[in-house]
Amino acid sequence: MSRRPSLSVAAVAVAAALALTACNANSDSDTAGQSTTSSTQKGGELTILTSSSTVTLDPAKSSNLAITTLGLFNRRLTSWEIEPGKTAQAVPDLATDTGTPSDDGKTWTYHLKSGLKFSDGSPITSQDVKYGVERSFAPELSGGLGYHKSLLEDGEKYQGPYTDGDLDSIETPDDTTIVFHLNVSYGDWPWIVSMPAFSPVPKSADAKPQEYGQHPVSSGPYQVDSYKEGSTLSLSRNPNWDQSTDEVRTAGPDKITFQLGQDDTVAAQKLIADSGDDKNAFQASFVPPAQLSQIQSNADAKSRLVTSDAGALAYLAINVKHKPLDDLKVRQALEYAVDKKAFQIAVGGSIGGEPATTLITPGIAGRQDYDLYPAGESGDVDKAKQLLADAGNPKLSLTLLVESDPVEVLKAQAIQQGLKRAGIEVTIKSEESDAWYADVTSDKGDYDLALASWQPDFPSANGNIQPLFASSEIGGGGFNLSRYSEPEVDDLIQQASAATDPAQAEKLWAQADKRILQDAPVVPLLFKKNSFLHGSNVQNFFVTPFPAYPNYLKVSLSK
Amino acid sequence: MRRTRFLAGRLVSMLAVLVVISLLTYAVFFLLPSDPAQMSCGKPCTPDGLAQASAFMGFDKPWWQQYLDFVAGIFRGRSFGRGPAAVHCSAPCFGYSFQLNQPVTQLIWARIPVTFSIAIGAAALWLVLGVSLGVLAAVRKGTAIDRSAMAFAVAGVSAPVYLLGLLGILLFGFTLDLVPVSGYVPLTESPVDWAWHLVLPWCVLALFTSAVYARLTRGQMLEVLEEDYIRTARAKGLTERKVVGWHALRNVLIPVVTVFGSDLGQLLGGAIITERVFSMQGLGSLLLQAVGTGDLPLVLGTVLFSAFLVVLANFAVDVVYGALDPRVSETSG
Amino acid sequence: MRTRRHPRQFLADRWAVAGGVVVAGFLLVAATASALTAVEGQDPYTYHLDALDDTGRPVGFGGGISGTHWFGVEPLTGRDLFAIVTHGAQTSLTVGLAATVIAMLIGVLVGVTAGFFGGWYDRLVSRAIDVLYGFPYLVFMIALGAVVSAKFPRTWLVVLVIGAFGWPTVARVVRGQTLALKHRTFVVASTAMGAGPGHVLVRQILPHLGVTIIVYTTILIPGLIGVEAALSFLGVGVPAPTPSWGRSIGEGVGWVQTDPMFLVFPGGALFAITLAFNLLGDGLRDLLDPRSVRRRPEAGARP
Repeated sequence: MSRRPSLSVAAVAVAAALALTACNANSDSDTAGQSTTSSTQKGGELTILTSSSTVTLDPAKSSNLAITTLGLFNRRLTSWEIEPGKTAQAVPDLATDTGTPSDDGKTWTYHLKSGLKFSDGSPITSQDVKYGVERSFAPELSGGLGYHKSLLEDGEKYQGPYTDGDLDSIETPDDTTIVFHLNVSYGDWPWIVSMPAFSPVPKSADAKPQEYGQHPVSSGPYQVDSYKEGSTLSLSRNPNWDQSTDEVRTAGPDKITFQLGQDDTVAAQKLIADSGDDKNAFQASFVPPAQLSQIQSNADAKSRLVTSDAGALAYLAINVKHKPLDDLKVRQALEYAVDKKAFQIAVGGSIGGEPATTLITPGIAGRQDYDLYPAGESGDVDKAKQLLADAGNPKLSLTLLVESDPVEVLKAQAIQQGLKRAGIEVTIKSEESDAWYADVTSDKGDYDLALASWQPDFPSANGNIQPLFASSEIGGGGFNLSRYSEPEVDDLIQQASAATDPAQAEKLWAQADKRILQDAPVVPLLFKKNSFLHGSNVQNFFVTPFPAYPNYLKVSLSK
Repeated sequence: MRRTRFLAGRLVSMLAVLVVISLLTYAVFFLLPSDPAQMSCGKPCTPDGLAQASAFMGFDKPWWQQYLDFVAGIFRGRSFGRGPAAVHCSAPCFGYSFQLNQPVTQLIWARIPVTFSIAIGAAALWLVLGVSLGVLAAVRKGTAIDRSAMAFAVAGVSAPVYLLGLLGILLFGFTLDLVPVSGYVPLTESPVDWAWHLVLPWCVLALFTSAVYARLTRGQMLEVLEEDYIRTARAKGLTERKVVGWHALRNVLIPVVTVFGSDLGQLLGGAIITERVFSMQGLGSLLLQAVGTGDLPLVLGTVLFSAFLVVLANFAVDVVYGALDPRVSETSG
Repeated sequence: MRTRRHPRQFLADRWAVAGGVVVAGFLLVAATASALTAVEGQDPYTYHLDALDDTGRPVGFGGGISGTHWFGVEPLTGRDLFAIVTHGAQTSLTVGLAATVIAMLIGVLVGVTAGFFGGWYDRLVSRAIDVLYGFPYLVFMIALGAVVSAKFPRTWLVVLVIGAFGWPTVARVVRGQTLALKHRTFVVASTAMGAGPGHVLVRQILPHLGVTIIVYTTILIPGLIGVEAALSFLGVGVPAPTPSWGRSIGEGVGWVQTDPMFLVFPGGALFAITLAFNLLGDGLRDLLDPRSVRRRPEAGARP
């Protein structure tokens, strides 16, 4: 807690939490496209093709988005309303509202709806919610989203119900009321309680906590039939779920099957072909660039491709702590030398994203468009060379750390060839994504450049700026990959976060945006677009600007 | 007696080999920069949380202590953490994957059917195909049959499995829409679907590998057909079919079995590329995934298991070799 | 004993000759790759975005085949495919040949000494070979890739790893042959006359292994070229942007319906060179050692 003073600022933690979950810095945003949105038809068997081979079913260990897999069978106090054309909102799920703050936002009270039942028919009580939160504190069940852990009073010391008994800062005065006592005032607590740890877990089903994830007790419209790691996750209807208590889930299909460990290219090709069961399927992973190109000349497949609006910022982080990148002139030279056009083509051209010159993403209130380093889309090599000459022509041989995914490596090469034009040598070092993530967020920071992207998961400029540029986010798991530390910027962030007047906040954020880029700690490359493909029977499949992922809770099948 | 001693000696050295492999794997992964605890630390990952996760998983101990714990776990089982939420991994415990929340043995166990289905089916196919082609070519030496069989063999061995596999998927999966392009259906669920999903990987692997066997068999056959005992058999007036089919083939099979055993052992330990190409989640993909996510216990477990299969296969080859080769059995009684 | 065949018989083996010619052709292309692409006016690293449409697909016939780009261009980058394939030959052959040299050196050295000296050393070697057979080198490659400094040239790292894991087959065979030679009259006689072990090894045994060494070299080269391609296909081999057929094939797969030539050129090149080496090797083997029992070198990344 002491390490993260900024946590007291409302939106920050949420933004970071969601960002880390959803995209691990590698995802995108926004929607133009969507399939037919119509009234939900019931029935059918939906298949979801995904490249990941594991699903963590224990809510304490999960870092799922509210609208994806776990949201289908785990209800939380709140959820997200994700509808085409509307801004994302926290909405009541198990609770009757999104929470009543008192004590200046340090105490939050929720009441459960009546008639809520688990899949085994027993009623859902506030104690079950409390127990679910408590068990997420056990070190044996770590790995999930844990932003609440440092916000709840005494949370730092508490190690879960198995050894430490009750957590006193969560009160359950009766079966339908739950009260949270926080360390600090926290206006965005309604977003926090939409996370998986705020799903109810009946204590009676938790005799063997490590095995709970194999047979989680369902509170949503579906229950887990079977889960085979690396193979399938099968869900069927939960007879004890009542539609009238649930505003966010439409529960169209009778069955939902996740096909795990699917190759992205093969999965996309299956969906392009759209035959047999694939008509009832969608791909949870992005469509690879080669298939995006293929789809452009296939009208049928094109009609089933859903692309988001330009959203997540793809950028090149420059490690300002490494010589000679500590020299502003050198970093500015990079701004000019980079070939954004080549980068854009590497992700599939204009369907993959639009060139960026700013930090705050389009669609966020208060965003100002500007270009501090006008160089055209392919860069200005002469200008870069001149800046390097001004800096005394340092010998530039830089290491670029990227994830070993083919698309990432291709993007890295686009950067490499762009910089080479100005005589800057770049060596690409690719690592498996988890190793990459550990390396870029570690205290050591042993790299010159890193390719990353950031999704403004929380619809506020705060989510764009603070996690990437606040000095508190350097190392130790933080995502300030440039290791950029500027008191003036920290100050601006502080002021903007504290500002209660939205107009005032917007102005401050726009100011911070520009101020940061004057120091050139990153090269903004692209506002990315996410593309997803679905079969011809899939309906109500849409991708909104936030969180730029399909809303699993609303997808249905036509008869 | 000598045979028993031979077997005992082989078993001891098998064990020694496995110990060395496990130590090597440990050493390699200990050098890696990424902290295995980081992946299970949760988000946000605070230094406190990281230390806690590390202590819980036992990654805070010195490497030799961790290794000893691992070895002890095989015999005694292991527990991580305390209280009812502790993780138990009963003996024989080959580690626990904290990323997948399962004991390594259980994860391997779940993947075995996939890899074994691929490997055994393909092996049977390539053995039959390769040996028949080889015998045919040898018996019809110098004819068009011989030449085309050998042309097939040299072409087959020159085409990388992934290229064949991908072309197979495109042609038979997408263009002709004959077979499923990916996925695995358990044998117990539907034997027909099981086989149908595996036809393509079997054929691709068999096409590639049978080429090697055809060449090997042909070479051996040609050699054996000139041996004295075959001449004797012919002189005794046995039919050519009997000569080739029994007397010669028996001797040809000796080197073939040697190669077959170790090939099969390798493949059973994980058909990395085939599994990748056909999106099948077997031991090979488990290993790739474990390496990719820095899941040390899982890497160690899968490497050890596949090494065990390879070593076991070599051991089995030695035993079978003794049984097949009259000369070996004569001397070793 | 059969008499050895005359070299003229090798020339009569049309397939082996064809293989030899193709191999020679590839060696020439690899050696002169830079000059060749200079004639074309291209190099394997420069992007040509103007040769692509908005989605990154090459414009024009056959993936953009033209006078300026003889094999067309690579999707998403516009890099010249002819330059990539010819420089890919360089990569393939460098890695294949260098790794073979390493594997042969270690294999012969270890095999000869193990067979000759026997005893505990021999047993140790046999167990070491078992360890290498059992250890998937893909794991080693990935781990080393992360550990070794980014400044260390990756191509040579690949060579070292492939070479270091490629020797056991050779060692096994050489050891067997050495064992047999040890008991042959001329060696026994030489030892009886007081020749030291060094002398016997170098003067008596090694020369008799010449055929085996040549034969195994011809088997290893295409095998190890394949290993490099497989590692690169899996994304852990020679790193981008150094051209590699294996990586191009991996990328080309996705494009096969929209730009098949992107798969055809590198895939065809890899198939052709492996086939040519195999044909040449078969011919040589028939010529030198018609009785050799062959064992395929272990494919590193398992099929």
